[in-house]
Amino acid sequence: MNSEQGSGERHFHEIRFHGRGGQGVVSAAALLALAAFEDGYESQAFPRFGSERRGAPVEAYVRISSAPIRAHNQVYTPDAVVIQDAGLLRSEPLLRGLRSGGLVVLNREQRPAESEGEDDGLRWICLPASRIGERHLGRPLPNTALLGALAAASGWVGLPTLERVIASHLAAKGEETVKANIEALREGHRWGLQAEEAAS
Amino acid sequence: MRRLLEGSQAVAEAVRLCRPRVVAAYPITPQTHIIERLAQHVADGELEAEFISAESEFGAASLVQGAVAAGARSFTATASQGLLLMTEVLYNIAGMRLPLVMVCANRALSAPINIFCDHQDSMALRDAGWIQIYVESNQEAVDSVIQAYRLAEACELPVMICMDGFLLTHTYEPVVLPAQSAVDEYLPAFHFARALDPARPMTLGGGSEADNYQEYRVAQQRAMENAETVIEAFDAEFGEQFGRHYGGMLQGYRLEGAETVLLVLGSLMGTVRDVVDGLRERGQAVGALRLRCFRPFPAQGLVRLLAEARRIVVLEKAFSPGAGGMLAAEVRAALQQAGSMTPVEGVIGGLGGRDLTPDVIEALLRDGTPADTGTLRFAPAHREQGAPSHG
Repeated sequence: MNSEQGSGERHFHEIRFHGRGGQGVVSAAALLALAAFEDGYESQAFPRFGSERRGAPVEAYVRISSAPIRAHNQVYTPDAVVIQDAGLLRSEPLLRGLRSGGLVVLNREQRPAESEGEDDGLRWICLPASRIGERHLGRPLPNTALLGALAAASGWVGLPTLERVIASHLAAKGEETVKANIEALREGHRWGLQAEEAAS
Repeated sequence: MRRLLEGSQAVAEAVRLCRPRVVAAYPITPQTHIIERLAQHVADGELEAEFISAESEFGAASLVQGAVAAGARSFTATASQGLLLMTEVLYNIAGMRLPLVMVCANRALSAPINIFCDHQDSMALRDAGWIQIYVESNQEAVDSVIQAYRLAEACELPVMICMDGFLLTHTYEPVVLPAQSAVDEYLPAFHFARALDPARPMTLGGGSEADNYQEYRVAQQRAMENAETVIEAFDAEFGEQFGRHYGGMLQGYRLEGAETVLLVLGSLMGTVRDVVDGLRERGQAVGALRLRCFRPFPAQGLVRLLAEARRIVVLEKAFSPGAGGMLAAEVRAALQQAGSMTPVEGVIGGLGGRDLTPDVIEALLRDGTPADTGTLRFAPAHREQGAPSHG
């Protein structure tokens, strides 16, 4: 990543996270931005939530850039959308503005039935992230598994960097939590690689 | 070292570096993370201060008022309705000329209830006698808190750092936190000459009749006038020591040869810079000007920096219903006082967190209507493809 930046090529990626309050949407966005920053990029992460309650729809945005980021606007034309609760697809236009060839990382084993088989010009990465979270964390938290899948499919941040960032960001929650999240991240990463291989 | 920090955390670190002895607050979105972090620092022994969870914002403001009056450097933060609930105390703090620093995490006012950013809250307090500094980035928030303590204590005026709620408070972005030793060098220890002391009984803010009340207000005005040069000097000095400065009271962007100039406050300036760059690339003579200070009002600087402009657009996130934008009105007054005939278009937008996107700002700069400057205009909403109509 650093070597690419050194080549003078301009990188600019925008990512939108969708989920519900309590699912770690804001943390996932922060972890991604922290990892990109560690990798030598400029980055920015911020949430948008309607009302502060568990279960309410939440969005969070990340920008990763090789140039300083000055704007604080929401993300309207993302390169990737991460969906932590597939149920939201029924009620919200989660794919709005997604660029052609954009990435959808979905917490569900398959694409939603209505879009199955259709070539919508998007790259779908589907994985049972809540189950992965449940297995490692004892709670159906999908965020780190989805982050792993996003990293694998996009190549925007490195897996070792994400692991380091999780270790430092979640240090206060104890060694076990850190370890469990890193395991979930790695499993998500494997799902991401497999999905990419299957598609190519 | 540059670190990626949430704005609230960055501000809390800046406050810690200023070594306040009393922090009192009541939680309110989007300010709460600042106070949570400071409470953690006190609990962890990283900040030697009394942390007081107040029963309301009125209580929080009263507590820090008393603390500063007793000679202790103090801090509080609030937003929106919390700021309004503090109002009476904030006027008292300014009237007693107490050098307090607070952060207002700018948020819309009720009703209807809304937790997102605009500037109605701090704008409602513009006449309270506080210096008001509106910051563009989290780095500027950090640096301005440090400058603010020195400014407040040198001028015996309270300072409100206005920081856009969510847009800054909840945003992770890169910041440099100065070293403690560097902050100690820039900001001397607080010695309040008028501090209350039982050994030397004295009253602050006691009764004043018609024969001298007005003189207190005149003194406040003189202090504000004096603060103008102090703000400039301390910001420049900060720049020499830390390598970052913000233009004192005003920060221009690509004003050279600019025929159209857009004026804004706060974090919106980041988007405006991007828009100006885009229009300049297409050969349009546009520039931007950010008022870092709204109080004291930088009238002279505005007149100087806008002397070449042929069209001025003020985009602001607050207004007085039945009148118009306060910022635009004051810009017009300053220009007219100086004999300028340049029309000033006032536009209100971004209320209740409505995103002022590059396309909306670009349209404002492009579609000038200098003829009807008397009509109050509201910025349109950004139209998002596929979004629900309430989005």
